[in-house]
Amino acid sequence: MSQPSAPSRANKGGAGRLRERVAAARQRHPFASFLTRRAGTAVLLMLGVTLVTFVLTNLVPGDPAAAALGQRAVEDPAIVAQFRQHYGLDKPLPLQYVTYLGNLLQGDLGESQQSHQAVLTDLRAAVPATIELAGTAIVLSLVIGVAFGVVAALRQDRLTDQVLRVLSLLGVSVPTFWLALLAFYVFFYRLGIAPGSGRLDPGMTAPPDVTGLYTVDAALAGQWPVFWNAVRHLMLPALVLTAYTVGLLTRFTRSAVLEVLGQDYVRAARAKGLPGRTVLTQYVLRAALVPVITVAGLAFGALLSGTVLVESIFAWPGLGAYAYRSATTLDLPAVMGVGLVVGVIYLLVNLAVDVLYGVIDPRVRVS
Amino acid sequence: MRFSVLKRLPSAWRRPLAVTGALVTVFWLVVVLAAPLLAPHDPLAQDLPRLASPGAGHWLGTDELGRDVLSRVLYGARISIPLALLLVALSLLVGGALGACAGFFGRWVDETVMRVADLVFAFPTVILAMVVAAALGANLQNAVLAVLVVSWPSYARVTRGLVMGIRNREFVLSGRLLGFSPWRSLRVDVLPNVLGPLLVLATLDIGTATLLLSGLSFLGLGAKPPAPEWGSMVAAGTQQFDKWWIGVYPGLAILTVVLAFNFLGDTLRDALDPTAARTIGAEKERVA
Amino acid sequence: MSRLRAGSSPATALSLLAVAALTLSACSGGSTSGSAGGGKTLVIDTSFNLKTADPGREFEPTGQIVDKALYQTLLTFKGGDVTKPVPELATYEQSTDGKTLTLKLKAGAKFSDGSAVTADDVVFSLNRVIGLKGNPSFLLDGVSVTKTDATTITLTSKKANPALPFILPNPALGILNSKTVKANGGAATAADKAETYLNAHSAGSGPYTLTSFNTNTQVVLEKNPKYTGSTKATYDKIVIRNVQAPTQKLNVQRGDSQIALDLTGDQVQGLTGGLKVLSGTSSDVVFLLLNQDKKISTTTSNAKFAEAVRKGVDYAGLLTLTGKGSAQAAGVIPSTFLGALPASQATSRDLAGAKAALAASGIKNPSVTLGYPSDLTVDGLSLQTIAERLQAQLKEVGITVNLAPAPTTTELDKYRNGKEEAGLWYWGPDYPDPSDYLVFLPGNLVGLRAGWKAGADPELTAQGDKAATTIGDDARKALYEQIQTKLNASGPFVPLFQPSHYTVTAASVTGVTYNPVWTLDVAAVGTK
Repeated sequence: MSQPSAPSRANKGGAGRLRERVAAARQRHPFASFLTRRAGTAVLLMLGVTLVTFVLTNLVPGDPAAAALGQRAVEDPAIVAQFRQHYGLDKPLPLQYVTYLGNLLQGDLGESQQSHQAVLTDLRAAVPATIELAGTAIVLSLVIGVAFGVVAALRQDRLTDQVLRVLSLLGVSVPTFWLALLAFYVFFYRLGIAPGSGRLDPGMTAPPDVTGLYTVDAALAGQWPVFWNAVRHLMLPALVLTAYTVGLLTRFTRSAVLEVLGQDYVRAARAKGLPGRTVLTQYVLRAALVPVITVAGLAFGALLSGTVLVESIFAWPGLGAYAYRSATTLDLPAVMGVGLVVGVIYLLVNLAVDVLYGVIDPRVRVS
Repeated sequence: MRFSVLKRLPSAWRRPLAVTGALVTVFWLVVVLAAPLLAPHDPLAQDLPRLASPGAGHWLGTDELGRDVLSRVLYGARISIPLALLLVALSLLVGGALGACAGFFGRWVDETVMRVADLVFAFPTVILAMVVAAALGANLQNAVLAVLVVSWPSYARVTRGLVMGIRNREFVLSGRLLGFSPWRSLRVDVLPNVLGPLLVLATLDIGTATLLLSGLSFLGLGAKPPAPEWGSMVAAGTQQFDKWWIGVYPGLAILTVVLAFNFLGDTLRDALDPTAARTIGAEKERVA
Repeated sequence: MSRLRAGSSPATALSLLAVAALTLSACSGGSTSGSAGGGKTLVIDTSFNLKTADPGREFEPTGQIVDKALYQTLLTFKGGDVTKPVPELATYEQSTDGKTLTLKLKAGAKFSDGSAVTADDVVFSLNRVIGLKGNPSFLLDGVSVTKTDATTITLTSKKANPALPFILPNPALGILNSKTVKANGGAATAADKAETYLNAHSAGSGPYTLTSFNTNTQVVLEKNPKYTGSTKATYDKIVIRNVQAPTQKLNVQRGDSQIALDLTGDQVQGLTGGLKVLSGTSSDVVFLLLNQDKKISTTTSNAKFAEAVRKGVDYAGLLTLTGKGSAQAAGVIPSTFLGALPASQATSRDLAGAKAALAASGIKNPSVTLGYPSDLTVDGLSLQTIAERLQAQLKEVGITVNLAPAPTTTELDKYRNGKEEAGLWYWGPDYPDPSDYLVFLPGNLVGLRAGWKAGADPELTAQGDKAATTIGDDARKALYEQIQTKLNASGPFVPLFQPSHYTVTAASVTGVTYNPVWTLDVAAVGTK
């Protein structure tokens, strides 16, 4: 497999030869070159993300000055001029973009027109909130989804399998914004089981900021009441978010496990009389984890989308809420910041997925 | 690699999920066609008591303007379902064409199309669609365009994968040797062979398209009032928490439509060749 | 869903309510029960419209609540009565030509760091508002500030400025500790860098100090032990949280919060648990705009068409949407201000008259596009709902209305540039004086937005100029009534209604008084 045949090499031409040379180098220093290539793609991708965000945001009809200044202030040319100068909006668009990139290289994401703070400061507050929510959701989904999937596969075509199939299809079919609304109404308003909106009860002081994840920070500081409060506030929105990803993971785990169960080596292991549990953990789960990890990576992206809709209902001060507010007020520096962060998260998740492949499945490392 | 979708279909169709999915789909299709006959009220008439709970005369209650929720939910099917179908058809067309070119011609065409697809994937779909919809102006056509922007890449990827799988197969190569132009080869030899799996992907995607479109309307970036669109009806429900019927019923409508299409899609997927099913499955999830 | 409240209008800054009968016990009452609230936290839920805590830059409703607690102003209003400015840090005297306002500082006021409030602090703070060119700068347009002696400050206006004593109570004109602010980059010019500091610490003499500030989540205030004013704060700590209206209802009902500020008439229905619901008429006026520019529309600029709309709107029908306490707006000036038209002069529906006017306009099957901000709420009321109801009402006249909602940012731009054929907006007072409503005249701020150019109605313009400089309540009242009668007869605006403003509080909470300028004076809130 690794050495392409001569005719196809000829077909590929120059680009193909270059690719082969790179491939050869990669075989010598696989991980280093993998990372270099990744970094290169990442930079290009981020550049693309900033450009697309910049162009799109400028296409939106409307005037950020009108959104940021008051109805009175915006009629005063001096105030508007001052505003445009402050945010560099008086310069031609290409220059604005180049200036933005220049500042970006120095780690300066600009200042939000809405919050009057450095975008970096805003993101520093919003990103951990979303990571905590989406992270909890993905961990929950992995646990529940993989368990469901394995059970469904082992009980293929029996009642359990059918029920889990319907459940997982329900999970991917339910509109997140509607489920959030319903959950909030039932568990908070009707039953009073869940705490209200936000990350902590009012009057509860946030733990000293280390990671920005309230649960982690509270645990680090030994503030257990705050920890439990943060956990309680996390549960409902996180569970709403898991609906979709649990559905996804159940289906993928099921088919991955089924495929592995049908492989010769697993059949052989069973025939040799290895105990069912050993076969399951040693062979089946290990092999099935590869596709599952891929899907988990994809699911994380879906979760980020879900947060846009869920955060507003639970008044969760995260990236989704920030993105919505920035986009609707044409707060360009903030929108650009969101685009960058999301791009970085996407790249990191993909990187993590690829690295995990190598860890779980040695075959991937070799080839 | 030919896919024996049709051959495997009959047994799959007998499954309870498939039957349920088909029944619900037929129900909604009937609603789409016959909404004016089924709806007890004009969906736009504001002549009932405001915020009345479900009861005689208004079985699903009334909304903040005294409109009949049942009639609005029924009429809503005429917006959401045809648009989702249209959207999927457009995605199939655009993504399929680009992906086929990428897979068939390779080189820079492939690089360009796939890098752009990567770029789209780098954004969470809702956020990207939100910005696009805001940029174009909030209405349904633009919401469809916005979702199209985020949905074509998965079709492109699948098509590219499938095309690359068969472009060097003997029957294609022999066509080229006979002097077919690349375009003709693509049209005559390649496309018919990838169409089957693509149609399955499209079916699987109808539910997702419905979800995304209603999500945009929920955010105020889709349907224009007073159109009875399900997503915007749920949004109105968030303003009246304790008047649960305003938001719950349209949400249920979305759920049942999406669920029905997913039941059907799942059945189709099972009927597919397992390898193709996995490629399509993985791509399908990216759309969401 | 997160309805963005106009990130924008200073008009919203003053959203709200009338004086009304709600004054429970204006300020002083709370002090006796102070010990009962000792160590207590008051939680207030509101849907944030907040950008900064810096008084020189702030002009949003939530910012007004916060700054009212952190800073003292030269003059103030007692409770919810905005018809008479009263001394706070200073007493005042206005010259008979209305051009000079002399302020005499009262002795003894201290900032939270213990230093005295001086005339220099006053001059610095007011000059800073002017020099920053921020959102509230227009409040002091054409005003120059000078220190006459150690305790006297003179404000001189170029033209007669009878509204100035009504402007000075605005929390945006709060007095800052000039030494602290200067030490943290403050200056009375656009080069000022003190905003970051003022968003983390307060530098005022108000009853509270700033503990934490986040424009998205919550603001926490703590009692200022050095406070020297007359309102004695009851609660040691105040948490103001950003919560959407529907959730506010759940929170206050469950006791998660003690005060909910943004509930609508529909939402206060069926509240349980011994909560108190206080309602009053807001001073925001919702109006319909019909563009007079023939280039924008030959339909809306047709006088007979405008008449058809004016007669075709079912005003009483709109009030069923807006709830108890709301009122039809007789003119553009809200009912609680000097110069408001009496309710008896309000337009009422005349369907036959509307149809006749439409026929007389010569326009067959007229169709107009109505633009409005889809994400904007006025006192919790969504303009979306109103637009949908108007569409249905005008259909009965034979006018097709196409709704064209857009996010505030986009729609505001069209509105400001006079590009809307028809528009649905509201005006919240910048300060409680009828002169703020001269913006509706031809060639002025809002007039231009309706394509009503200067010179379109010279007689009305002359009346406006006269009203702006006339001194004396009776004379002003008569002039403003005349102006509105004329506006109602031939202007491009259709005043619709003033929404109702509801505040829901826990049974134990006392001293909640509504003020159209700062919504709620948190320091006056007490407990039983």
